[in-house]
Amino acid sequence: MDDLSATGGGEPFDAQEPALGLLDGELREAASVLDPVPTALEQLAVEAFALHDLDARIAELTFDSVVDAIPVRGAVDVPRMLTFHADGLTVDVELTGHGLLGQVLPPQTAAIEVLSGPRAGSALTTDALGRFASEEPPSGPFALRLRTGGGVLVTDWLTA
Amino acid sequence: MDRSDVGALVQSAIDGDAAAWKALVEGLSPLVWSVARAHRLSDADAHEVYQTVWFRFAQHLGRIREPQKAGSWLASTARHESLKVIKGLRRLTPTDDPQLLDRVSEDRTPEQSLLDAEEAAAESERIRHLWQEFEELGDRCRQLLRVLMASPPPSYQEVSAALGIAVGSIGPLRQRCLRRLRARLEARGAE
Repeated sequence: MDDLSATGGGEPFDAQEPALGLLDGELREAASVLDPVPTALEQLAVEAFALHDLDARIAELTFDSVVDAIPVRGAVDVPRMLTFHADGLTVDVELTGHGLLGQVLPPQTAAIEVLSGPRAGSALTTDALGRFASEEPPSGPFALRLRTGGGVLVTDWLTA
Repeated sequence: MDRSDVGALVQSAIDGDAAAWKALVEGLSPLVWSVARAHRLSDADAHEVYQTVWFRFAQHLGRIREPQKAGSWLASTARHESLKVIKGLRRLTPTDDPQLLDRVSEDRTPEQSLLDAEEAAAESERIRHLWQEFEELGDRCRQLLRVLMASPPPSYQEVSAALGIAVGSIGPLRQRCLRRLRARLEARGAE
Protein backbone atom coordinates (compact mmCIF):
# COMPACT_ATOMS: atom_id res chain seq x y z
CA MET A 1 0.00 0.00 0.00
CA ASP A 2 2.50 2.58 -1.11
CA ASP A 3 -0.18 5.13 -1.82
CA LEU A 4 -1.35 5.02 1.78
CA SER A 5 2.01 5.15 3.48
CA ALA A 6 3.15 7.95 1.20
CA THR A 7 0.63 10.28 2.81
CA GLY A 8 2.34 9.73 6.14
CA GLY A 9 -0.99 9.09 7.88
CA GLY A 10 -2.32 5.79 6.63
CA GLU A 11 -1.10 2.62 8.18
CA PRO A 12 0.12 -0.17 5.90
CA PHE A 13 -1.80 -3.39 5.45
CA ASP A 14 -0.77 -6.93 5.83
CA ALA A 15 0.89 -7.75 2.51
CA GLN A 16 -0.92 -11.08 2.52
CA GLU A 17 -4.27 -9.52 1.80
CA PRO A 18 -3.81 -6.85 -0.86
CA ALA A 19 -7.50 -7.13 -1.75
CA LEU A 20 -8.41 -5.59 1.60
CA GLY A 21 -6.18 -2.62 0.87
CA LEU A 22 -8.03 -2.18 -2.39
CA LEU A 23 -11.39 -2.26 -0.66
CA ASP A 24 -10.10 0.29 1.84
CA GLY A 25 -9.18 2.62 -1.01
CA GLU A 26 -12.63 2.20 -2.54
CA LEU A 27 -14.26 3.10 0.76
CA ARG A 28 -12.17 6.25 0.97
CA GLU A 29 -13.27 7.16 -2.52
CA ALA A 30 -16.91 6.46 -1.66
CA ALA A 31 -16.73 8.68 1.44
CA SER A 32 -15.24 11.57 -0.51
CA VAL A 33 -18.05 11.30 -3.04
CA LEU A 34 -21.04 10.46 -0.81
CA ASP A 35 -20.21 12.16 2.49
CA PRO A 36 -17.52 14.84 2.00
CA VAL A 37 -16.92 17.75 4.38
CA PRO A 38 -19.45 20.38 3.24
CA THR A 39 -17.52 23.18 1.50
CA ALA A 40 -19.21 26.01 3.42
CA LEU A 41 -18.38 24.28 6.69
CA GLU A 42 -14.71 23.97 5.81
CA GLN A 43 -14.71 27.66 4.95
CA LEU A 44 -15.97 28.42 8.48
CA ALA A 45 -13.05 26.45 9.91
CA VAL A 46 -10.65 28.49 7.76
CA GLU A 47 -12.25 31.72 9.06
CA ALA A 48 -11.98 30.44 12.63
CA PHE A 49 -8.33 31.49 12.56
CA ALA A 50 -9.67 34.89 13.66
CA LEU A 51 -10.55 33.30 17.01
CA HIS A 52 -6.88 32.73 17.70
CA ASP A 53 -6.29 35.35 20.38
CA LEU A 54 -3.16 35.10 22.47
CA ASP A 55 -4.15 38.02 24.70
CA ALA A 56 -7.38 36.56 25.99
CA ARG A 57 -7.30 34.17 28.89
CA ILE A 58 -9.35 30.99 28.56
CA ALA A 59 -11.99 30.22 31.16
CA GLU A 60 -12.08 26.45 31.23
CA LEU A 61 -15.26 24.45 31.49
CA THR A 62 -15.19 22.76 34.90
CA PHE A 63 -18.82 21.65 35.17
CA ASP A 64 -21.34 20.68 32.53
CA SER A 65 -24.62 19.19 33.71
CA VAL A 66 -24.85 17.12 30.51
CA VAL A 67 -21.94 15.00 31.69
CA ASP A 68 -21.44 15.85 35.36
CA ALA A 69 -24.98 15.81 36.75
CA ILE A 70 -27.24 12.89 37.51
CA PRO A 71 -30.36 13.25 35.40
CA VAL A 72 -33.68 13.62 37.18
CA ARG A 73 -36.02 10.87 36.12
CA GLY A 74 -38.87 12.13 34.01
CA ALA A 75 -37.73 15.74 34.06
CA VAL A 76 -38.11 17.53 30.76
CA ASP A 77 -36.57 20.75 29.51
CA VAL A 78 -34.01 20.74 32.33
CA PRO A 79 -31.71 23.76 32.12
CA ARG A 80 -28.12 23.02 31.21
CA MET A 81 -25.76 24.30 33.90
CA LEU A 82 -22.23 25.26 32.99
CA THR A 83 -19.36 26.55 35.09
CA PHE A 84 -16.17 28.09 33.75
CA HIS A 85 -13.07 28.98 35.74
CA ALA A 86 -10.07 31.20 35.14
CA ASP A 87 -7.63 32.63 37.68
CA GLY A 88 -9.99 33.07 40.59
CA LEU A 89 -12.91 34.10 38.40
CA THR A 90 -15.97 31.93 37.99
CA VAL A 91 -18.66 32.22 35.34
CA ASP A 92 -21.88 30.31 35.95
CA VAL A 93 -24.24 29.89 33.03
CA GLU A 94 -27.69 28.38 32.76
CA LEU A 95 -29.13 27.55 29.35
CA THR A 96 -32.82 26.90 28.81
CA GLY A 97 -35.08 26.86 25.82
CA HIS A 98 -35.98 30.45 26.69
CA GLY A 99 -32.57 32.00 27.02
CA LEU A 100 -29.34 32.30 28.87
CA LEU A 101 -28.74 33.41 32.46
CA GLY A 102 -25.40 33.86 34.10
CA GLN A 103 -23.30 35.39 36.79
CA VAL A 104 -19.68 36.42 37.11
CA LEU A 105 -18.17 35.65 40.51
CA PRO A 106 -16.84 37.31 42.56
CA PRO A 107 -19.58 39.81 41.60
CA GLN A 108 -18.34 42.50 39.24
CA THR A 109 -19.45 44.31 36.14
CA ALA A 110 -18.33 42.99 32.79
CA ALA A 111 -19.10 43.57 29.14
CA ILE A 112 -20.08 40.23 27.64
CA GLU A 113 -20.26 39.09 24.06
CA VAL A 114 -22.10 35.89 23.16
CA LEU A 115 -20.06 34.39 20.32
CA SER A 116 -21.42 31.90 17.83
CA GLY A 117 -18.53 31.90 15.40
CA PRO A 118 -15.62 33.96 14.10
CA ARG A 119 -17.86 36.96 13.43
CA ALA A 120 -18.99 39.49 16.07
CA GLY A 121 -21.50 38.19 18.58
CA SER A 122 -24.34 39.85 20.48
CA ALA A 123 -23.47 42.12 23.39
CA LEU A 124 -24.69 41.89 26.99
CA THR A 125 -23.74 43.73 30.15
CA THR A 126 -23.88 42.56 33.74
CA ASP A 127 -25.54 44.32 36.63
CA ALA A 128 -23.52 45.30 39.70
CA LEU A 129 -23.79 41.73 41.02
CA GLY A 130 -22.24 40.30 37.87
CA ARG A 131 -25.52 38.87 36.61
CA PHE A 132 -26.40 38.80 32.93
CA ALA A 133 -29.26 37.49 30.83
CA SER A 134 -30.24 37.01 27.23
CA GLU A 135 -33.61 36.02 25.87
CA GLU A 136 -32.03 34.36 22.89
CA PRO A 137 -30.86 30.87 23.76
CA PRO A 138 -27.60 30.08 21.98
CA SER A 139 -27.90 27.25 19.49
CA GLY A 140 -24.95 25.47 18.01
CA PRO A 141 -21.40 26.43 18.88
CA PHE A 142 -21.08 29.21 21.41
CA ALA A 143 -18.62 30.89 23.75
CA LEU A 144 -18.68 33.98 25.96
CA ARG A 145 -16.12 36.74 25.74
CA LEU A 146 -15.94 38.81 28.93
CA ARG A 147 -14.22 42.11 29.33
CA THR A 148 -13.67 42.75 33.03
CA GLY A 149 -11.45 45.17 34.91
CA GLY A 150 -8.83 42.43 34.88
CA GLY A 151 -8.70 41.92 31.11
CA VAL A 152 -10.35 39.77 28.47
CA LEU A 153 -11.54 36.26 29.13
CA VAL A 154 -13.06 33.77 26.69
CA THR A 155 -14.87 30.62 27.77
CA ASP A 156 -14.20 27.26 26.18
CA TRP A 157 -16.28 26.70 23.06
CA LEU A 158 -19.25 24.40 23.48
CA THR A 159 -22.11 23.04 21.42
CA ALA A 160 -25.33 24.40 22.89
CA MET B 1 -0.49 18.13 3.95
CA ASP B 2 1.76 15.39 5.24
CA ARG B 3 1.17 14.23 8.80
CA SER B 4 4.81 14.92 9.59
CA ASP B 5 4.21 18.63 8.80
CA VAL B 6 1.49 19.06 11.42
CA GLY B 7 3.78 20.25 14.23
CA ALA B 8 5.48 22.86 12.04
CA LEU B 9 2.15 24.06 10.61
CA VAL B 10 0.71 24.50 14.11
CA GLN B 11 3.79 26.51 15.10
CA SER B 12 3.47 28.73 12.01
CA ALA B 13 -0.23 29.24 12.70
CA ILE B 14 0.58 30.28 16.29
CA ASP B 15 2.94 32.84 14.80
CA GLY B 16 0.09 34.23 12.72
CA ASP B 17 0.50 32.41 9.40
CA ALA B 18 -3.02 32.12 7.96
CA ALA B 19 -1.82 29.87 5.11
CA ALA B 20 -0.50 27.35 7.63
CA TRP B 21 -3.86 27.40 9.39
CA LYS B 22 -5.62 26.81 6.08
CA ALA B 23 -3.35 23.86 5.35
CA LEU B 24 -4.22 22.39 8.76
CA VAL B 25 -7.92 22.81 8.09
CA GLU B 26 -7.64 21.20 4.66
CA GLY B 27 -5.56 18.30 5.94
CA LEU B 28 -7.47 17.54 9.13
CA SER B 29 -11.02 18.61 8.33
CA PRO B 30 -12.02 15.24 6.88
CA LEU B 31 -10.86 13.55 10.08
CA VAL B 32 -13.03 15.81 12.27
CA TRP B 33 -16.03 15.33 9.97
CA SER B 34 -15.51 11.57 9.90
CA VAL B 35 -15.46 11.37 13.68
CA ALA B 36 -18.80 13.19 13.91
CA ARG B 37 -20.25 10.94 11.21
CA ALA B 38 -18.81 7.83 12.84
CA HIS B 39 -20.95 8.74 15.86
CA ARG B 40 -24.00 8.83 13.58
CA LEU B 41 -24.68 12.49 14.18
CA SER B 42 -27.34 14.09 12.02
CA ASP B 43 -26.34 16.74 9.50
CA ALA B 44 -27.20 19.59 11.88
CA ASP B 45 -25.38 18.05 14.84
CA ALA B 46 -22.34 17.09 12.79
CA HIS B 47 -22.12 20.66 11.48
CA GLU B 48 -22.20 22.05 15.02
CA VAL B 49 -19.71 19.60 16.47
CA TYR B 50 -17.35 20.23 13.56
CA GLN B 51 -17.50 23.99 14.19
CA THR B 52 -17.09 23.71 17.95
CA VAL B 53 -14.01 21.55 17.46
CA TRP B 54 -12.35 24.00 15.06
CA PHE B 55 -13.31 27.06 17.11
CA ARG B 56 -11.83 25.46 20.19
CA PHE B 57 -8.72 24.43 18.30
CA ALA B 58 -8.21 28.04 17.15
CA GLN B 59 -8.75 29.23 20.70
CA HIS B 60 -6.32 26.73 22.25
CA LEU B 61 -3.76 26.89 19.45
CA GLY B 62 -0.91 28.39 21.46
CA ARG B 63 -1.60 26.15 24.43
CA ILE B 64 -1.60 22.72 22.84
CA ARG B 65 1.11 20.71 24.54
CA GLU B 66 2.15 18.49 21.65
CA PRO B 67 1.61 20.41 18.40
CA GLN B 68 2.69 17.42 16.28
CA LYS B 69 -0.28 15.52 17.73
CA ALA B 70 -2.84 18.16 16.76
CA GLY B 71 -4.68 15.50 14.72
CA SER B 72 -5.20 13.40 17.84
CA TRP B 73 -6.25 16.50 19.78
CA LEU B 74 -8.88 17.30 17.13
CA ALA B 75 -10.07 13.69 16.94
CA SER B 76 -10.40 13.41 20.69
CA THR B 77 -12.22 16.75 20.98
CA ALA B 78 -14.58 15.70 18.18
CA ARG B 79 -15.27 12.45 20.02
CA HIS B 80 -16.07 14.18 23.29
CA GLU B 81 -18.29 16.77 21.65
CA SER B 82 -20.11 14.06 19.68
CA LEU B 83 -20.72 12.01 22.82
CA LYS B 84 -21.99 15.11 24.62
CA VAL B 85 -24.44 15.88 21.85
CA ILE B 86 -25.65 12.30 21.93
CA LYS B 87 -25.97 12.41 25.71
CA GLY B 88 -27.81 15.70 25.63
CA LEU B 89 -30.22 14.08 23.16
CA ARG B 90 -31.15 17.50 21.93
CA ARG B 91 -32.28 16.16 18.63
CA LEU B 92 -33.48 12.63 18.29
CA THR B 93 -32.70 12.34 14.61
CA PRO B 94 -29.69 10.15 13.97
CA THR B 95 -28.47 9.99 10.43
CA ASP B 96 -30.80 7.88 8.41
CA ASP B 97 -28.95 5.77 5.91
CA PRO B 98 -31.44 6.08 3.06
CA GLN B 99 -31.51 9.85 3.61
CA LEU B 100 -27.79 10.05 3.20
CA LEU B 101 -28.06 8.11 -0.02
CA ASP B 102 -30.94 10.22 -1.30
CA ARG B 103 -29.07 13.40 -0.65
CA VAL B 104 -26.49 12.43 -3.21
CA SER B 105 -28.80 13.32 -6.05
CA GLU B 106 -29.83 16.70 -4.60
CA ASP B 107 -26.54 18.09 -3.45
CA ARG B 108 -23.96 17.52 -6.12
CA THR B 109 -20.29 18.04 -5.66
CA PRO B 110 -18.13 18.26 -8.78
CA GLU B 111 -17.13 14.65 -8.16
CA GLN B 112 -20.75 13.59 -8.14
CA SER B 113 -21.55 15.43 -11.35
CA LEU B 114 -18.64 13.64 -12.89
CA LEU B 115 -19.86 10.34 -11.57
CA ASP B 116 -23.32 10.97 -12.86
CA ALA B 117 -22.02 11.35 -16.37
CA GLU B 118 -23.32 8.51 -18.45
CA GLU B 119 -20.05 6.73 -18.97
CA ALA B 120 -19.51 6.68 -15.21
CA ALA B 121 -22.98 5.44 -14.27
CA ALA B 122 -21.75 1.95 -13.57
CA GLU B 123 -19.01 3.27 -11.32
CA SER B 124 -21.53 5.38 -9.44
CA GLU B 125 -23.72 2.35 -8.96
CA ARG B 126 -20.81 0.34 -7.62
CA ILE B 127 -19.94 3.06 -5.08
CA ARG B 128 -23.55 3.27 -3.91
CA HIS B 129 -23.68 -0.46 -3.38
CA LEU B 130 -20.43 -0.37 -1.48
CA TRP B 131 -21.78 2.45 0.71
CA GLN B 132 -25.03 0.63 1.35
CA GLU B 133 -23.23 -2.49 2.51
CA PHE B 134 -20.90 -0.39 4.62
CA GLU B 135 -23.85 1.34 6.32
CA GLU B 136 -25.34 -2.02 7.19
CA LEU B 137 -22.25 -3.30 8.96
CA GLY B 138 -22.43 -3.61 12.74
CA ASP B 139 -21.94 -0.41 14.72
CA ARG B 140 -18.39 -1.15 15.73
CA CYS B 141 -17.17 -1.85 12.21
CA ARG B 142 -19.14 0.99 10.72
CA GLN B 143 -17.68 3.41 13.23
CA LEU B 144 -14.09 2.26 12.79
CA LEU B 145 -14.21 2.23 8.99
CA ARG B 146 -15.93 5.63 8.85
CA VAL B 147 -12.99 7.21 10.69
CA LEU B 148 -10.39 5.27 8.72
CA MET B 149 -11.82 6.36 5.38
CA ALA B 150 -11.08 10.04 6.03
CA SER B 151 -8.91 11.46 3.30
CA PRO B 152 -5.97 11.96 3.83
CA PRO B 153 -6.02 8.75 5.90
CA PRO B 154 -5.63 9.23 9.66
CA SER B 155 -2.86 7.67 11.73
CA TYR B 156 -3.75 4.93 14.21
CA GLN B 157 -2.97 7.42 17.02
CA GLU B 158 -5.69 9.67 15.65
CA VAL B 159 -8.13 6.78 15.20
CA SER B 160 -7.44 5.75 18.77
CA ALA B 161 -8.21 9.29 20.00
CA ALA B 162 -11.31 9.44 17.80
CA LEU B 163 -12.88 6.26 19.11
CA GLY B 164 -11.28 5.61 22.47
CA ILE B 165 -9.84 2.24 21.42
CA ALA B 166 -6.27 0.98 21.85
CA VAL B 167 -3.88 1.62 18.97
CA GLY B 168 -2.88 -2.06 18.94
CA SER B 169 -6.42 -3.26 18.34
CA ILE B 170 -7.09 -1.05 15.32
CA GLY B 171 -5.13 -3.06 12.72
CA PRO B 172 -6.73 -6.43 13.47
CA LEU B 173 -10.20 -4.89 13.84
CA ARG B 174 -9.83 -3.06 10.57
CA GLN B 175 -8.92 -6.25 8.73
CA ARG B 176 -11.83 -8.09 10.26
CA CYS B 177 -14.28 -5.33 9.35
CA LEU B 178 -13.00 -5.13 5.79
CA ARG B 179 -13.29 -8.89 5.43
CA ARG B 180 -16.84 -8.69 6.67
CA LEU B 181 -17.63 -5.94 4.19
CA ARG B 182 -16.05 -7.92 1.37
CA ALA B 183 -18.18 -10.93 2.29
CA ARG B 184 -21.32 -8.79 2.16
CA LEU B 185 -20.34 -7.45 -1.25
CA GLU B 186 -19.64 -10.94 -2.54
CA ALA B 187 -22.98 -12.20 -1.24
CA ARG B 188 -24.70 -9.30 -2.95
CA GLY B 189 -22.88 -10.02 -6.21
CA ALA B 190 -23.93 -13.67 -6.04
CA GLU B 191 -27.63 -12.85 -5.69
